[in-house]
Amino acid sequence: MAYFNIDADKQVTYDAIVIGSGISGGWAAKELCEKGLKTLVLERGRIVQHVKDYDTMNDDPWDYELRGALTAAEQKKHHKGGRTGWGSKDTEHLWADDEANPYTEVKPFMWLRAHQMGGRSMLWGKQTYRWSDLDFEANAKDGHGVDWPIRYKDIEPWYTYVEKFAGISGAPLGLPHLPDSHFLPPMDMNCVEKDLKARIEKTFAGRHMIIGRVAHLTEPLNGRGKCQYRNRCSRGCPYGAYFSSNAVTLPAAHATGNMTIRPYSIVQSIIYDDTKGKATGVRIIDSETNEVIEYNAKIIFCNASALSSTQILLNSTSDRHPAGLGNDSGELGHNLMDHTYRVGAIGRVEGHDDSYYKGRRPNGIYIPRYVNLDEATKSDKFLRGWGYQGGAGRGGNPANETSFGASFKDNMLKPGPWEFFITGFAECLPYHSNKVSLDTTSLDKWGQPTLAIDAEWGENELAANRQIQIDAVEMLTAAGVKDVLGFDNQHEMGNGIHEMGTARMGRDPKTSVLNGTNQVHGAANVFVTDGACMTSSSCVNPSLTYMAITARAANHAVSELNKQNL
Amino acid sequence: MDRRKALRQTSWLAGAAITGPAILSLLQSCQSASRLDWQPTFLSNDEAEFIAAIVDTILPRTETPGALDVGVDIFIDKLWAQTSDEAGQAQVRSDIAAFDATCKQAYGSAFAKCSPEDQHKALEVAEANAGTFNPGVWGKAVGVQKPVGFYRSLKSTAIWAYITSEEIGKNVLNYDPIPGGYDGCIAVDSVGNKWSL
Repeated sequence: MAYFNIDADKQVTYDAIVIGSGISGGWAAKELCEKGLKTLVLERGRIVQHVKDYDTMNDDPWDYELRGALTAAEQKKHHKGGRTGWGSKDTEHLWADDEANPYTEVKPFMWLRAHQMGGRSMLWGKQTYRWSDLDFEANAKDGHGVDWPIRYKDIEPWYTYVEKFAGISGAPLGLPHLPDSHFLPPMDMNCVEKDLKARIEKTFAGRHMIIGRVAHLTEPLNGRGKCQYRNRCSRGCPYGAYFSSNAVTLPAAHATGNMTIRPYSIVQSIIYDDTKGKATGVRIIDSETNEVIEYNAKIIFCNASALSSTQILLNSTSDRHPAGLGNDSGELGHNLMDHTYRVGAIGRVEGHDDSYYKGRRPNGIYIPRYVNLDEATKSDKFLRGWGYQGGAGRGGNPANETSFGASFKDNMLKPGPWEFFITGFAECLPYHSNKVSLDTTSLDKWGQPTLAIDAEWGENELAANRQIQIDAVEMLTAAGVKDVLGFDNQHEMGNGIHEMGTARMGRDPKTSVLNGTNQVHGAANVFVTDGACMTSSSCVNPSLTYMAITARAANHAVSELNKQNL
Repeated sequence: MDRRKALRQTSWLAGAAITGPAILSLLQSCQSASRLDWQPTFLSNDEAEFIAAIVDTILPRTETPGALDVGVDIFIDKLWAQTSDEAGQAQVRSDIAAFDATCKQAYGSAFAKCSPEDQHKALEVAEANAGTFNPGVWGKAVGVQKPVGFYRSLKSTAIWAYITSEEIGKNVLNYDPIPGGYDGCIAVDSVGNKWSL
């Protein structure tokens, strides 16, 4: 598949430009190309073609000189991202270079970026949950942030649409606040998870423990193979079993013959024509040659990732938009959200020493939100709520044994004790004070202003975290788990890698950046459909909602284009 | 002793059901001569001898290969050479020196030169004094992780180096690169050793 069209530099006019090729950019490319638009996809990094460029997909630990550990130089290159604990040699090449791509942490903030075709869609956790009106109505009900301009009924058909193509495995539960998706068969729980599920659900009315809903195929779909339970997803899946732009949406866009993807393209700004009252194109810097090139299009989809999209908008100034494209309200860059994370409990499970499992399941269990659903579950300590992810497995740490020598070594080769953990993901309120801005005094090596990130958890998130830990300890203890250790390791935002907001949708141009179909106020032919557009953060993982919002906006864009409204 | 030969002998010994005391004498014969037959990158020869002796005491050869059979000592030298910054490397050197100083005081010689009995005593003391690792979730320790000290940290590194070696990962643990499916409930007896990956 020849993605890189060498004519890209000669041809400068397209019907549409998509900035970014991650989860939302891939969907924008697919939808626009399939509707017949000649589409230029601008990718900041290199091309990573499905299977062909998955360099590490079959590596074993001993294939690496350091068994996967990063050298001192590599650790330095990932000195910010490495704080999440994800760094290893098999995916090191897929995480952005923190030294070459600096940002300023006004307060501690982990910003994990992936600068290659597919972006973080190669690396994501694949947990996929629909949002509900509990989420879309939350701001309006408690007064934080502004009201979402859409409700569940607006997005529901688009959830179904993207789920059928992406392939989501899971089991229906019938909860109104966690609507069921269009499911492929669910993955299995192991025996300990089944046992603990029964105990937790028996003890705590209204709480459920389910297998995670994930963008992994459990049956073949559209020529993609099903999951082989290798759990080497992030390196790229040779079977195409999990959803990524590389394996799913970009090949579909390519198949139309309408897509040109241009790598090494750093978008400097979106070009706005004051007389026409709309955007006319995009200015890029070739990261390899430093050449500045302008591309023209009728519509522009900004899908660079939440903070990068906002960075581009802030850097796109004109007479009409002096403070950044779409910043009439002054809200561009504000209301940054993430999910709290790494707060929960872990312990040892007895009574299952004779059981084990086969296969490395790239999924765990999920405990849907059970607080602040209604009057009966209302808390007076915090607003909104959380869900838990977790799982059981045989682990333990032999290094902790106070023995050594022959029998220690032979025991260590046997399966370890069963352990079970849950960790909460709590909703973050949209605070105006949590913001990003351009730092014009600190330029990157392409001479571009870098981003300064100034955000921290509020008292509501901290209060939720306290309860997450208390409830986690209580649930594990009640389920008979031993040596339960409660923990709260959430020290800084960004760790959840669920950045949302900074160019929020809203009903009123005076208080929002985007309208109800993701069009920039004052630049109706520019659409922002990645995490930047989010008006609130829910407590469930956002990627599925990005997919649905993008497909919906692309449909609207082409419809408006055909009516000559753009 | 030639490392490759040792590995082959181990495979041959696998069927012979040799247990504790015989293995110990085998180790002693291995250790009686200075056995550094490779050139360390980061460690001094004395430090390399220390690492070899301590990982061999923690993970000796039994029916399965020991730490030295799969080059754990050589790997640790390479690991520290390439992954530690200057401060980390200086810390390791001073930790080794401190461990040896304790051994000299208690048993009259550096750890590598101690008798197997004294080496066992030294590790029993080290075990009793070392902290423990908190459990981990998704690549990071949870809760407040107190320092575990040099010995526990080295033991952990040695175990990791051992189980990620090709010999152990492929031939001793259960190597199943493409499981094909997930069965959440099987009898542990049907598997034997734990999964490798």
